[in-house]
Amino acid sequence: MVGAASAAAAAGVTEMADKDTKIGAAIAAATCSLLGTATPGVSIAADTQAPWDVESAFLYYGESDGRVKDMSVSAQATRDYGDERKLGIDLSLDSLTGASPNGAMATNGAQTFTSPSGRATYSTPAGVVPLDDTFHDTRFALNGNWSQPLARLYTLNAGLGFSSEFDYQHLGANFGMTRDFNQRNTTLSAALAYAQDTVKPVGGLHAPLSQMTDAVDYGEDGGGGGGGGSDSKNVLDVLLGVSQVLGRQTVLRVNLSYSDSSGYLTDPYKILSVVDPVTGDLIGRTPAPGASGPTGVYLYESRPDSRRKEGLYAEMRHDFSGKVLQVGYRYSTDDWQVDSHTFESRLRLPFGSSSYLEPHVRYYQQTAASFYRYSVAGGSAPLPEFASADARLSDMNAITAGLKYGHVNAGGNEWNARLEFYRQTAKAPSEFLIGNQIGNTQMPDFDAVILQFGYHFKL
Amino acid sequence: MGGPCEVLIEVTDEAEARKIADAVAACALRIENKFSRYRPDNIVARINSSAGEPVAVDSETANLLDFAALIHRLSDGLFDITSGVLRKAWTFDGGNRLPAQAEVEALLPLVGWSKVRWLRPMITLPPGMQIDFGGIGKEYAVDQAIQRVTQMSGAAVLVNFGGDLAVTHSRESNRAWRVGIEGIDTAVQRAAMLVDLTAGALSTSGDTYRYVESQGRRLSHILDPRTGWPVSGAPRSVTVAAPTCTNAGMLTTLAMLRGPAAEAFLESEGVRHWVQRST
Repeated sequence: MVGAASAAAAAGVTEMADKDTKIGAAIAAATCSLLGTATPGVSIAADTQAPWDVESAFLYYGESDGRVKDMSVSAQATRDYGDERKLGIDLSLDSLTGASPNGAMATNGAQTFTSPSGRATYSTPAGVVPLDDTFHDTRFALNGNWSQPLARLYTLNAGLGFSSEFDYQHLGANFGMTRDFNQRNTTLSAALAYAQDTVKPVGGLHAPLSQMTDAVDYGEDGGGGGGGGSDSKNVLDVLLGVSQVLGRQTVLRVNLSYSDSSGYLTDPYKILSVVDPVTGDLIGRTPAPGASGPTGVYLYESRPDSRRKEGLYAEMRHDFSGKVLQVGYRYSTDDWQVDSHTFESRLRLPFGSSSYLEPHVRYYQQTAASFYRYSVAGGSAPLPEFASADARLSDMNAITAGLKYGHVNAGGNEWNARLEFYRQTAKAPSEFLIGNQIGNTQMPDFDAVILQFGYHFKL
Repeated sequence: MGGPCEVLIEVTDEAEARKIADAVAACALRIENKFSRYRPDNIVARINSSAGEPVAVDSETANLLDFAALIHRLSDGLFDITSGVLRKAWTFDGGNRLPAQAEVEALLPLVGWSKVRWLRPMITLPPGMQIDFGGIGKEYAVDQAIQRVTQMSGAAVLVNFGGDLAVTHSRESNRAWRVGIEGIDTAVQRAAMLVDLTAGALSTSGDTYRYVESQGRRLSHILDPRTGWPVSGAPRSVTVAAPTCTNAGMLTTLAMLRGPAAEAFLESEGVRHWVQRST
């Protein structure tokens, strides 16, 4: 009897369920007719059963003249546990290919260099800035971060990060705290980050300012060219910030930063040309009989083993009834005497009900490091203790201009596309130029294009 | 509207905010005045006091009656705007007074939409019967307010009439409106669930304040018009998300009326819903 009754009840439920499907559509249609509206789309309501907020992106970065290309996929996922407790996980995978300047200067003749592995050589035609085209790498990075309120008005965050490349490993930890004041119109923040990186260059470490030697085939499992091994560097970053609401439409943020790096700060693949102290021309070299190797005298660069940077950053955001303007300025100085200024601005222009355009400009300018050299004078003059011909340490400026377009679809998710152009121009300070180099320098300037597609969704 | 009403407006211009708030308030007052069963001088009062005489109604009222008739049919009589007279027997004030079965049975002849003669625009109610838009009015008012706001401004606005709410669209920078659904234990004044809303509406039906207790059992204020008794096995609270508040409200009410099958009904409808039951 009981069995029959539940069977009947079950049948009833099934019948009802079939019919209910029709009810939903009929109710929706009746509602539209009552309200005089068009048939509405799908309801867009997300709930905490979809607690992940994910920003995913594909990025292409390509430098002109077949230089560095980076293809990158990344995802930043944030899970909200409520009560402002959040877990963040960032993942990215980069694939780098292409060539990068090795530091040697362009000359009137072709040049040959030993490649970083120490086993082969590559050549550069006359009049061309030498590029090392053996440059390729895959980088994987993973970061985790947790933030939560500690007490009323206090928020704490802590994170761990890790990244790995063929010749570089990074391990980092960070810890920060914010406190709200003044009815949450003022926020003070303090953060500390510590990183320990390990460099294990292809072809091993070179003694500072040691000379590039002939290529040697060490066989399948041979060691590196200039000696094996790895070295490490430690970086401590301290950040103090204040963010202040200035009226309803304006927010000002000011950060002070301090960074202390120590250990191996040299770029193991960068070299300098050794030149005649009078003419400024490259001093030639002949490889050993039967061997292939450099056709000039080149020294591996050497940088100090510590660097202390201080920075100031100020940013203002203003809302012009929906159009948001962001203007920022950064000043940075360090004990390598690299002083830099950055100006950056973005303007978000909403249009339609669900799209926006965002133009972006950035200008960067820096002075050369105290040990930057276009080349090193050979002969009897003593070698400097530190020297690098890396254009990124010379007088340099860069301009970026771009446009981003974003659109929110019916599901409340945003996709966006960003296209930017980048131009970097470097200049060797004239006091470092010798003889024929004056008025005849060629710096490894380049243009780059950045294209990014992003999709922001809930999971 | 039988509860606190609020409107959240995201604009930078104070004058625009005032204009929107005034429009929403005007909308709420207009519908309250026109359709509240507590007013002696509105269309509902005229229909309820017609004593068997036909009453001609305006087109807005007619639209609501058409809607109510359709939902009555779709729900096999579970949704019925004539069931309000049962409140003469039932008082849902958190107390424990239960009516006698005879008291309820005496009222049942006055319940049933099928006894009403509705030929647009004329409605004829048998003497002693009453209609009540309480099950539609609040949600309808929310939708009307949202329509009004959308016509006059592009601002991001959330209209909340006593827990039934809708938004115009997402907030600035595409951020969602974060809405808390009240937990069923009022002692804990915390949102039981957070919902991120970028469009559409939420309607909640619950018995947090309106219930009657019998032998330790809590009886819901949702009455089955066919028996005159509270629906047994109804959830404590049902929330549904839908494109419009009226649509959401109908689904929450029908789910409540299904009692123990509330979840099964909402699942089969494929709508986003949150059901809370006593454990």
